[in-house]
Amino acid sequence: MFELRRRSSRVILQVVLFLLTVPFLLPLVQMVIGALGGIGWRNFVVVWDTGVIPTFFRNSAILAASVIAIVYVLSMTASFGFSKLHIFGKEVYFWLMLAALTLPEVILLSPLFVTATQLHLYNTLTAVVLPLAALQLPFVILLTRNYFDGIPTELIDAGRIDGASVVQTFWHIVLPLTRPIASAVVVLTLINSWNSYLLPLVFLQDRSRQVVTLLPQFFVGEYTNDQTKILAAAVMTAVPTVLAYVLMQKNFERGLSAGALK
Amino acid sequence: MTTTSLTTTTTAGRAAEADGRRRKHGTHLNGLPWILPAFVFVVGLIYYSVFYTGYISTLDWDGLAPTAKAVGLGNFTKMFADPVFWAALRHTAVFYVVTFTVQTALGFVLAAIMHSRVRFAMLHKVVIFIPTVLAPATMAPVFRLIYADDGMANWILRHVGLGSLAHPWLADGKTALPALMLITVWQWTGLTFILYYAAMSQIEPELLEAARLDRAGNLRTLWYIVWPGCRGTTVSLAMLGFIGALKTFDIPYLVTTGGPYHSTEFLGTYIYRMGIRQAHIGYAAAISIVLLVLAVAGALVIGRANRKGASA
Repeated sequence: MFELRRRSSRVILQVVLFLLTVPFLLPLVQMVIGALGGIGWRNFVVVWDTGVIPTFFRNSAILAASVIAIVYVLSMTASFGFSKLHIFGKEVYFWLMLAALTLPEVILLSPLFVTATQLHLYNTLTAVVLPLAALQLPFVILLTRNYFDGIPTELIDAGRIDGASVVQTFWHIVLPLTRPIASAVVVLTLINSWNSYLLPLVFLQDRSRQVVTLLPQFFVGEYTNDQTKILAAAVMTAVPTVLAYVLMQKNFERGLSAGALK
Repeated sequence: MTTTSLTTTTTAGRAAEADGRRRKHGTHLNGLPWILPAFVFVVGLIYYSVFYTGYISTLDWDGLAPTAKAVGLGNFTKMFADPVFWAALRHTAVFYVVTFTVQTALGFVLAAIMHSRVRFAMLHKVVIFIPTVLAPATMAPVFRLIYADDGMANWILRHVGLGSLAHPWLADGKTALPALMLITVWQWTGLTFILYYAAMSQIEPELLEAARLDRAGNLRTLWYIVWPGCRGTTVSLAMLGFIGALKTFDIPYLVTTGGPYHSTEFLGTYIYRMGIRQAHIGYAAAISIVLLVLAVAGALVIGRANRKGASA
């Protein structure tokens, strides 16, 4: 956007960019330096030796996988229906779902707490998975329906003429065409469920059921005055996320942008 | 998923009729079974919760006792007289205006710079975007350390000759909220930046070319061509930021627990404090209803502004 002819102004622009970017790095630097304080890298050993890290990660993985599975299956089938099939009063259904788009999850807290306790779901991953998936879905369906609208209806008619059932058409013709949006959906849902904090905080009390976002607090409880261990735990939680992002940069950027727009 | 019950019994006459409809609706087959699972799931869970919240908001209840006392609109009158509730609203408003403005300015400028010929653009992009993928809960302890008396913030201030400004940021009611805003800006500017970056790629090169031929400088081009060209993105971000501000929970809860003296209390943290911590679940539900009304109203207002602007 900036067209700079003189060398000096190009250097200035580069310096400005550098100065604007460095502050984004500082908290990460602080995190690593802090984690290496005191007994150095052995902080990581101590944290690992508590034995809870794999449990927290496993629970987060189960949580994210379940939410992704629900969101993926329900959004793909629903978007196909909304976009390509005849449904009486279709837009009414659609707008009823979209109305849930702007809901902050904290609103669901009181009723979910009461309901989960009554259904004996308190302290189970289910109590977190279901509301998380329900909160993601309206957004994702809006996104995927737009995408499905771009797939020519003639393709589906052609499949029908060749004698394929709707299920077969969906499976063999439509689904393979939706890969780009599907990867955006998966990444968006993955980040939102992996990073979710409030619902796990409220519903998962038992340590064997907790997820990675609750790790720092777990270590605050374990080592009240030893920041180094808490930060070592933070680093161990952050590293897989950063790695996943760096490896799948395009997917992450596309997924999060898709989630923000439309 | 569910196997669909599709009508395959089409007589010739019906087929012709359906053919006409097909033009309009894609195909004549009944798609209800395809949307029903998602619809029942979302509407069931969310609408159930919303109506239940509405009901709970008329109770004086701890959420567990078998009997609850109906208090009508008592919780709401209590809320409107509650200074902490108003403080939380005020904090949300200030938080939204400041973080949205700063993020927009920063993200826009960064995107414009990256669209120019600069070196290591990819590296800068990754560094700016990483905070967006990290969980606020993971970063909270880091920020508590940064803002501590002997933390990085004060260290930097002392080394650039502003040592007189150094103080425990989070313990001071005046600086705690700005400190939290800075965390949010750190976290979400990456997303703002990526969206503007994408939007700027869509601006027609001819337009920029024409501006250059008219001898418009870089800043004029940016302001008169690029900024209006990114209008849609700005509106989306305004909406996203508004809902994000209403949702704010993780950072204030984990970094300052709403303190000191409620100076960083948000609606989310207050609902949690009242409902889960102090078991005034009816009162928490009443605040939730206000939050719900604000979220829906805000989305409608910004959505309308968007449509008006688009047609203008």
